[in-house]
Amino acid sequence: MPEWLNILLRSTGLFILTLLLVRLIGKRQTSRLTFFDLVTGIAIGVIAAAISLNLVVNLANGLIALVVWTGFPALIYLLSIKYKAVRDIVQGKETVLINHGKVLEDKLLEARLTPEDLLSQLRKKNVFNFADVEFAVLEPTGEVSALLKKDKQPLTAKTTGLNVGQESVPQTVILDGIIMDEPLTAMGLNRRWLHTELEKVGVAPENVFIAQVDSVGQLYLDLFDDAIQVPKPKAKELAFATLKKCQADCELYALGTKQPEAKEMYGKSSKILSEVIEELEPLLKR
Amino acid sequence: MTISAQVKQTLASLKVVQGTLETFSSSGEKPEAKEILSSNSQKIAIIIKDLEKRLSVLEFEEPQYKGF
Repeated sequence: MPEWLNILLRSTGLFILTLLLVRLIGKRQTSRLTFFDLVTGIAIGVIAAAISLNLVVNLANGLIALVVWTGFPALIYLLSIKYKAVRDIVQGKETVLINHGKVLEDKLLEARLTPEDLLSQLRKKNVFNFADVEFAVLEPTGEVSALLKKDKQPLTAKTTGLNVGQESVPQTVILDGIIMDEPLTAMGLNRRWLHTELEKVGVAPENVFIAQVDSVGQLYLDLFDDAIQVPKPKAKELAFATLKKCQADCELYALGTKQPEAKEMYGKSSKILSEVIEELEPLLKR
Repeated sequence: MTISAQVKQTLASLKVVQGTLETFSSSGEKPEAKEILSSNSQKIAIIIKDLEKRLSVLEFEEPQYKGF
């Protein structure tokens, strides 16, 4: 057998074999490699390369090494799912770097991090002032996660005491001009509904690139033809504005009428409407 | 515009809003949101009934403006 054919066969065989063996290890995210993951990955790669380039004279020896380097990590990952002790050894523990706003120098030394490293990692998280950090931890993957002090955290609806409406995930009902039946039925809608809605805005179904339905059944569109302006669904805002107008109307009538019972009725209606507005504001406006 | 015509307009707007709320509550998924929507649509229904009653009084007083 000529040498080139040997190498071709070995490479092809090893390519498939490594692919299968690596699958054994499982699909941990490669973007969050621990040092151990890195070592095993490189070892597997080097062994596979060495065998396929015929650097290992005895094929069996090479294969044994390959199987060990893939089998062991697979086994250890399985064990580490089961036992925390194994997990701590293999993946390492997280190290607290900043606690109660104070940098823990000895922990920093333990993690082999210089203060510059810490600052640069924090900057990556958009924290430029270390005094803003209440708690920071070095993850086993080498990334720093930081919890900001309460007053430096981004504003949320809850911290402002704002009541916001509930909204679930919008469903994508048309993709690339093709109607997706499954999301439609998941929303309790059908093709006929979709066609009616598209007719309302005057758009042909073939012209729709993406269409999404939000949790109250409003349709958002993007067309192939970008020159066409599609009206944004305004049913919510419109309903809210109309409600406010009706409430103002009732107040006006209450002032205008001279009959005491009518006055009382209008006043009551306006009061109920203002309650309704208050209750619906989070749903319709926010 | 007479008062009765104005009240009619308000009545129509309220009916529209009520319809919108009903559609929202029937197509929504979250039970909490659904409940708020349907309870408020019921409140609006009460107001619609009151206004309709008032409208019939107005129409009785000014029969020349009756109808649409």
